[in-house]
Amino acid sequence: MTKVQSIGKPARRVDALEKVLGTAKYLGDYKLPAMLYARALRSEQPHAKIRSLDVKPALAVPGVQAVVTGDDFVDHGLYGFPTKDKYMLAYQKVRYVGEAIAAVAAETPEAALEGIRAIRCELDPLPLLLDMDHALDPDAPQVGPERGDGQHPNFLDLSKVRLGEPLSILETCAVTLDQEYRTDHQEHAYLETEGALAIPTPEKGILVYCSNQSPFINRGYLAMVLGLPLDQVRVIQPPVGGSFGGKDDLNYETSAQVAALAIKTGRPVQMTFSRDESMVASYKRDAMHMRVRLGADSGGTLRACKFEGTLDSGAYASQSPFTGWRASIHAMGPYRYEACDVDITGVYTNNGFSGAFRGFGNPEVTFAIEQAIDEMADRLGLDPIDFRLKNCLRAGDETPHGQRLTEAVGLTECLKKVRQMSDWVRKRRDFPAQNAASAIRKGIGVAAFFHGLSMGAEGEDSASSTIKIEDTDTITLTSGLTDYGTGSRTVFTLIAAEELGVRPERIQMLRPDTNTSIDSGATVASRSTIVGGNATGAAARSLAQMLDLAAANLFACQPSQLSRDGEAYVGPDEKPVAWEQVVEHARRMGLVLSAQSRWSSPAIHWDSKTGRGMPYIDFHYGAQVVEVAVDMGTGKTDVSGVWAAHDAGKILFPQGAYGQVYGGITQGLGYALLEQVIFDRGYLQATNYDEYLIPTAMDVPDIQAAFIDTHSSIGPFGAKNIGEPALVPAAPAALNAIAHATGKRIRELPANLERVLLGHDLQRPGGTTSCKLGLHIRSIG
Amino acid sequence: MLIEFVLNHHKVGAEAPPDITLLTLLRDHFGLTGTKQGCEIGECGACSVILDDRLVSSCMVLAPQVGGRKVTTIEGIRGPENTPNDLQENFIEYGAVQCGFCIPAMVLAGEALLLRNPQPTRAEIREAISGNLCRCTGYQQIVDAIQATARRRLKKVRVEG
Repeated sequence: MTKVQSIGKPARRVDALEKVLGTAKYLGDYKLPAMLYARALRSEQPHAKIRSLDVKPALAVPGVQAVVTGDDFVDHGLYGFPTKDKYMLAYQKVRYVGEAIAAVAAETPEAALEGIRAIRCELDPLPLLLDMDHALDPDAPQVGPERGDGQHPNFLDLSKVRLGEPLSILETCAVTLDQEYRTDHQEHAYLETEGALAIPTPEKGILVYCSNQSPFINRGYLAMVLGLPLDQVRVIQPPVGGSFGGKDDLNYETSAQVAALAIKTGRPVQMTFSRDESMVASYKRDAMHMRVRLGADSGGTLRACKFEGTLDSGAYASQSPFTGWRASIHAMGPYRYEACDVDITGVYTNNGFSGAFRGFGNPEVTFAIEQAIDEMADRLGLDPIDFRLKNCLRAGDETPHGQRLTEAVGLTECLKKVRQMSDWVRKRRDFPAQNAASAIRKGIGVAAFFHGLSMGAEGEDSASSTIKIEDTDTITLTSGLTDYGTGSRTVFTLIAAEELGVRPERIQMLRPDTNTSIDSGATVASRSTIVGGNATGAAARSLAQMLDLAAANLFACQPSQLSRDGEAYVGPDEKPVAWEQVVEHARRMGLVLSAQSRWSSPAIHWDSKTGRGMPYIDFHYGAQVVEVAVDMGTGKTDVSGVWAAHDAGKILFPQGAYGQVYGGITQGLGYALLEQVIFDRGYLQATNYDEYLIPTAMDVPDIQAAFIDTHSSIGPFGAKNIGEPALVPAAPAALNAIAHATGKRIRELPANLERVLLGHDLQRPGGTTSCKLGLHIRSIG
Repeated sequence: MLIEFVLNHHKVGAEAPPDITLLTLLRDHFGLTGTKQGCEIGECGACSVILDDRLVSSCMVLAPQVGGRKVTTIEGIRGPENTPNDLQENFIEYGAVQCGFCIPAMVLAGEALLLRNPQPTRAEIREAISGNLCRCTGYQQIVDAIQATARRRLKKVRVEG
């Protein structure tokens, strides 16, 4: 007799069937009676004062039903968290190319476009701030808002970590390194572009479908800028065609725009973005310029780290203050130091705007520190994995932040695992000798990393789930967190199935709807499995307790005497009784067959003034090895192998976890080798997939992944996080491999053909600006 | 103009402007929303359909070009009684689906490959789906699903043969 087990077993993704059949309805697939099509007028200037905005001519265009501007919102639609600096539609100024100024609703997409063209908007150009390294110069053009604390208006935020006096220790170190590294922006490039659909309700409220990450945050903003009570705003989550951090702020603006248009017209209004519009208007991963100083003794023990980074947040703050904080916590890498200083300074520029992207600051700093660690190993004459093993964090250590690691730390095992899987020792030794006679040079590189679980000291960290047995004996499960492709709905289903001892097929896990699920904060920071999973487990256990009472009553025994045979309950007489019968008995007893639970993360503390504390409840650890073959005639780098080992705690949904690793590594390899966001005087150069290259199936090899079996005391069934971490170390591992292959180190991203072959960029004579924009040229439909 | 063709095994006709794409014809005139719009320039493959026996980006085909020809969309790929066919089943089984937006076209890319190469290597599968971008999965489990389907179909042919 064994109960039904679901955790860690092969399982079917709950939304896979509708997706393989093509019946899943994404935002753009909705067509409602009388629905209007919306489009936004977007700035063609990177920095300008709005001298005049006359929307009346748009209303004269046949088919146009309404136009909205910032004046249609409370407080001009000012929003943002943690820094309130952006408007739902631009107010007085535009700060980046693609910023929305007004929105039009019309009977057809073509009429909406005509309406946009008819708007008279005069922009007076302002001086541009394009170089993050000069954002805080006294005479730098002002991009950021006025502030009352005497800081430069272009200053956004400073995040720091402090341990001892690294500069004085560096002076006494036998081996030191002082090096600069640069990362570029990265475009999310989700296959589904942004969009929202608003439907006015008869009660003068608004119902919004949006492919957003966090429907409750959208609801809060909508209520705020529309001046509606929360219960008059409902946000429903359709399937989301990828997000990776990218469907927050811009989609909330889109929601506010279509909602205002829907209220004005009394009709449903939909806006979907063309690819060009998506790439131009959307926020990117921030770019960072970093200086790393490291010191070690002659035996290879790391002693000091000083890390200084500047983060280009572009025109608005969005999530950058949090990104900078997460970057600061991970900047020194998962190593022990006697002394460590980190300073990450976020600044405003006119280079688009930056926000959340998978990894959230950690890929940027890991790119720097993991190349620096490799360069130190070179100077010490040590093998890169041996050097990391000598210095990496272990259970019981205190991190440079002052956090005692009381949970399992699987980093040593991860490093040993990738060394064994990749045949590291032989390849490190043999490749250089083979390369001498070859036009194709092979190399192999490693990167190690850690990644804090959930939101950490960024803010309140809790989630709620509800569970209910329906009259049909199916079980309905809700969470306030969104599954935008991550697999969290399946993970929650498996957790509930395991706790209840029922087959997962019995459970229907709903998508979030702000009227039927409970506010669980933002769906970010790879927090779903831990926070949402714990809430789901608690709700399911609460419901299971009722069924245990019913079964015990049915068998006239104590709940402790019950056992399970499949789904069936078994009492002392060892005769199984079907689950449905126990449910029916519970109904007759009048027991409540529904439950809801909230789970909150254990308290942690971070002191931003001293740069000390406990930043996260625990960490994910991992290591990846990348093998490359570099064509010395063209600079083309082929990735010929990837091996990954991750300590993600207990793996709950194996196919999903492996999928996260494969997908994260592929995005990381795109970041490393292909993906280039160029702002030329504020104008984004690559606005579609023909110029912004993301990896195809031929750009990545088969990846070998392994999970180190550890157990977290915090996550459900011992699970940790996986979504973001998978991406983090891929780029530095690839660039370390290129250095091994060619003997030349590239310290900026991406390592494209020119940088690999020549060591520098090609000149791009004759810049292109507005002609690249394409916003008014290409039609939507 | 009247465009007559075979859509998902049925003869159909549509009165449509001559300058629209096959993608628009399928989504707006036939309501077949399994075909997705991703880039409109033939780069992402999310709008792939099978035209006669080849995979094409429907955003790059003018609607009148399909006159008299055979178009298969994801809605035309099914097992008995609207169940998933073996390839779709393997996409589920092998964990090949994440956000799902590229998946209908990926399934069609797999079917188009297996039509002309019933025994593809992993490299051939990767080449065959290289016109279809996926930002979530890293492609590996999609390759697994197509490979497993090829093997089982071959085995079935041998047993039945």
